[in-house]
Amino acid sequence: MSQHILRTYDDELKEVRSVIVRMGSLAAEQLADSMRALKDQDTDLAQEARAADKALDALEVQAENTVVGVFARRAPVADDLREVVSALKMSTMIERMGDYAKNIARRTIAIAEGQGVVLMPHLLDEMATEANEMIQDVMDAYVQRGADEAIAVWERDEHLDNMYNAAYRQILARMMEAPEHIAILSHYLMIAKNLERIGDQATNVAEQVYYTITGRFLEEARQARDENARLP
Amino acid sequence: MNAVVEPLMATESKPKMSIRDVHVRYGDVHAVKGINLDLYSDKVTALIGPSGCGKSTLLRCLNRMNDTISDCEVRGQIYLDGKDVYASDIDVVQLRARVGMVFQKPNPFPKSIYDNVAYGPRIHGLATDRDALDEIVEASLEKAGLWHEVKDRLDHLGTALSGGQQQRLCIARAIAVNPEVILMDEPCSSLDPIATAKVEALIDELSGRYAIVIVTHSMQQAARVSQKTVFFHLGEMIEYGDTTQIFTAPQQEQTRDYITGRIG
Repeated sequence: MSQHILRTYDDELKEVRSVIVRMGSLAAEQLADSMRALKDQDTDLAQEARAADKALDALEVQAENTVVGVFARRAPVADDLREVVSALKMSTMIERMGDYAKNIARRTIAIAEGQGVVLMPHLLDEMATEANEMIQDVMDAYVQRGADEAIAVWERDEHLDNMYNAAYRQILARMMEAPEHIAILSHYLMIAKNLERIGDQATNVAEQVYYTITGRFLEEARQARDENARLP
Repeated sequence: MNAVVEPLMATESKPKMSIRDVHVRYGDVHAVKGINLDLYSDKVTALIGPSGCGKSTLLRCLNRMNDTISDCEVRGQIYLDGKDVYASDIDVVQLRARVGMVFQKPNPFPKSIYDNVAYGPRIHGLATDRDALDEIVEASLEKAGLWHEVKDRLDHLGTALSGGQQQRLCIARAIAVNPEVILMDEPCSSLDPIATAKVEALIDELSGRYAIVIVTHSMQQAARVSQKTVFFHLGEMIEYGDTTQIFTAPQQEQTRDYITGRIG
């Protein structure tokens, strides 16, 4: 895209984008660390993953400040308007991903300190891999300005939801089999929920990326496409 | 005879003015190139674009202000309620009462505030007696949001008012002859932000009653006051659309580059 006549305006928009990208990679890293801590029952790593959330919170504040500054000074319109509005919303969404990852780390510590050895349901690992890929792919779509790539991430949410439902049933069955493990299994259940929520946020980010690029809302675009598909 | 002019878009309201394949040349310079555009009574239409894009030229065609420019040639049709304003039987003085104009720099007559507003109704014979004229003057100043500021000094010179008040006086003067269309050529470019806000509030106020066309270099002003926006470049109409759409998701790259301040 061509440059603004005012170079400093370009610099500010670049700054907005770079904060969002940094947030995305931090969130993905935090999730990966939380899951590794869970699998290895590594409470030190879990503590680190918990603490990493502060960096994400600080970046969210930075994103907000930069966006507010752009609004105040530049009165952004068109692509620029969509860019900064989306960045503001995306920063909140990514920060929430960090909260969910932090919650996983917190539960990892609780599980490690709990009574007895209860194996982690294998579906959680698959869910985490899927959620992490969604974060990375949606950030790639954001950087590359790929509308189709954003749609692809959006469509993967259903798969993650299905995995969550399977994990839920699996954990529930294990609770019934071994009621003495309910305390720890309920942590696993909440971890599954956290992973599903991270996927939801990645989906929301995908919608925002799509809007930033095209100026259209993904839901509307999909409806239009589905209606066209139904035509004889 | 009035022509039946097919609207460009199926909308609820009938266009007040319809511009069809209008070309304007100043000697060898092709300033406006084949414009088709509808203007509506209940809407403010903003014309935007870089200097020399033809927007002011087009605006001036709407009430034939270009007639006085000797080498200006206008081709195509401009209809007001289906009647071509360039038809040979058109009374230009009458046309300019129906299609009023407010200029970049406020240009009140060097007369009293009262006479500035009463001038048009007098020459068009709109008032039968002094009371009727008083009423028109008061109503016009009221509509222009100026009445309460000037009612005790109607005999003062219009030129002694502040810039913003002068511009609102000019708007009152345009309104006084019951226009149907009001053309504004950068009406706030010489005003401070407060006076600008007052004129914009007035445009808002008037927008349901008149078809308003405003030429502006301020993108934010176009975004604030208009419902429809047209982007011109080098004499051509590049994009026309709802103002919100133009300022959130313009369809043309040239429009985008212009309104966001990019090097096109």
